Amino acid sequence: MSGATPESERRLNLVMRLTDPVFLRRKFTHLAVFSTFIGVWEWAGRTGRLNDLIMPAPSAIAEALWRLYVVTGEIYWHFFVTFFEAVMGFLIGGAIGMGLAIAAALSLAFRRYIAPYAVALNVTPGIAVTPIFIAWFGFGWSSKIALAALIVFFPIFVNTLAGLLRTDRDTAELFRSLGASKAQTFFKLMVPNAAPMIFAGLKIAMTSALVGAIVAEFASATEGIGILMQRYSHQLDIAASIAVLLSMSLMGLLLFTAMEMADRHVVFWKHQGRLEAVSRNRRRRWFGLAMTRLAPA
Amino acid sequence: MQGGMNDDAIPGLPADDSPLWKRVLKHLAIFASLLAVWEFVTAFGYADPLLFPRPSEIFGSFVPLYVTRAIVWEHLWVTMATVLAGFVVGTLLGITLAVLAGLSETIHRYMKPYVIVLEATPRIAIGPLMLAWLGFGFGAKLAIVTLVCFFAPFINTLTAILSANPAQVELMRSLGASKWQTLTKTIVPDAMPMIMAGVRMAMASALGGALVAEFISSNKGMGVLLDNLTAMLNMSGAFATLLSLTVIGYVLYALMEGVEGRIIFWQNEAGLRRASARRKRRWMALK
Repeated sequence: MSGATPESERRLNLVMRLTDPVFLRRKFTHLAVFSTFIGVWEWAGRTGRLNDLIMPAPSAIAEALWRLYVVTGEIYWHFFVTFFEAVMGFLIGGAIGMGLAIAAALSLAFRRYIAPYAVALNVTPGIAVTPIFIAWFGFGWSSKIALAALIVFFPIFVNTLAGLLRTDRDTAELFRSLGASKAQTFFKLMVPNAAPMIFAGLKIAMTSALVGAIVAEFASATEGIGILMQRYSHQLDIAASIAVLLSMSLMGLLLFTAMEMADRHVVFWKHQGRLEAVSRNRRRRWFGLAMTRLAPA
Repeated sequence: MQGGMNDDAIPGLPADDSPLWKRVLKHLAIFASLLAVWEFVTAFGYADPLLFPRPSEIFGSFVPLYVTRAIVWEHLWVTMATVLAGFVVGTLLGITLAVLAGLSETIHRYMKPYVIVLEATPRIAIGPLMLAWLGFGFGAKLAIVTLVCFFAPFINTLTAILSANPAQVELMRSLGASKWQTLTKTIVPDAMPMIMAGVRMAMASALGGALVAEFISSNKGMGVLLDNLTAMLNMSGAFATLLSLTVIGYVLYALMEGVEGRIIFWQNEAGLRRASARRKRRWMALK
């Protein structure tokens, strides 16, 4: 039926890609480079050429990972706490940033009077507010969420504003001459036009939300992946702290990939593959609509 | 690069043609009324004065910080030294390595997966590890700031060099230019706007990096001062320190803006005019 053709085509493409000799050779050399690197590192660690306190061997790090994730499983709770703090901060800061950006985009006067404060906020390192936020919000989760929200605010605000203001004059003219209402102009013209830039800002903000949560945890916390890392490095258990660091990279990748997927989904017209899929779906829907209209009920 | 981070200023601000005193007065009026609201909210006890100091108290505590007790100077000096040293080392390292990596496609290909993993890692998170490695002195702080400043220039330079215009490179080759000439005369100048964008991002994060380093390893610096003042619940002092950091951040930002305007002079009107005036003078002298 209709769905079968592109599906089987895609599968065939995948098989061809995976058996392509150039692709295979490339993957193989990547693997070879990686394993040589790990091998040399391990050898240096085993023979005492690398100090255990400075750079533990890969096997020690792997062992620490095993301990953290399987034997004790203590990392999961900390991982969740930081993840939650970063995402909550992202949502709160993002909502405030976008709301103010929309207001600023719609009103020149508001934009003008908010500008000096936005500039001041931008040049102040958000991280500097950590001690004050801890005094205000306490040692629990809320101070971390607040810091993440503060750090996230500016990139989202400025990208949303720039995106909304980038509207093409001719298109705006067309909307007006077609008698579009203000709301229609906003939702059908300005927002779609701004979406790529908004998502660029969201992607940057997502990773900085994680940084905010982690830094606030360094300053004072009882749970979270940042405090776990600090605890291990104070104990000079470098292998475990590198294992935690790797987990932070994993969390960063997870958050970034989630944003990237949202970007591909929402701003589908900027990605070739997604564009084709969406237009295929629309075509099918239109075609079905036409058929029902044509066929007698 | 589809719409990267644009951190320069607030977009969409057309020149205001009302007279200067009117504009300044309006801004001042808004600022003053904000401060007045804050002052009265705290004065009438709607907000805890211990946590939310009144604006007058904040401005008052600049005096002991800067003049009578003058404790801020030594901390300020340490932080500025860390920021500038780390920024210079980090950006130079980042740009040099990226140019080297960009020259060889093979090196770039094998580096890419590691760069992606490193990019996803929150850089500042390596702080405690650096402390364990380098101790509580200046070295660890310098290393943290260097690391924070390394990535943005590195990645921007690499991206810009890899996206060099092949037609231009071809032209240079057909004109018999050496590899070095191709690099210095076309590829790098072409990449300069993107490199500078990376450098500016590095500058923006350098101060934050230094503060985090100071939060986690306590000896001296604005971060330590801020931490101590808050711990003593001297919130007005803490706010005054925070405002000082805003000023420092602004100075660094303006400095960067000026340097950028001089380096990539062809991207702005004033710079272009200055450069062409200079060249004209030189030509006239030659004649």
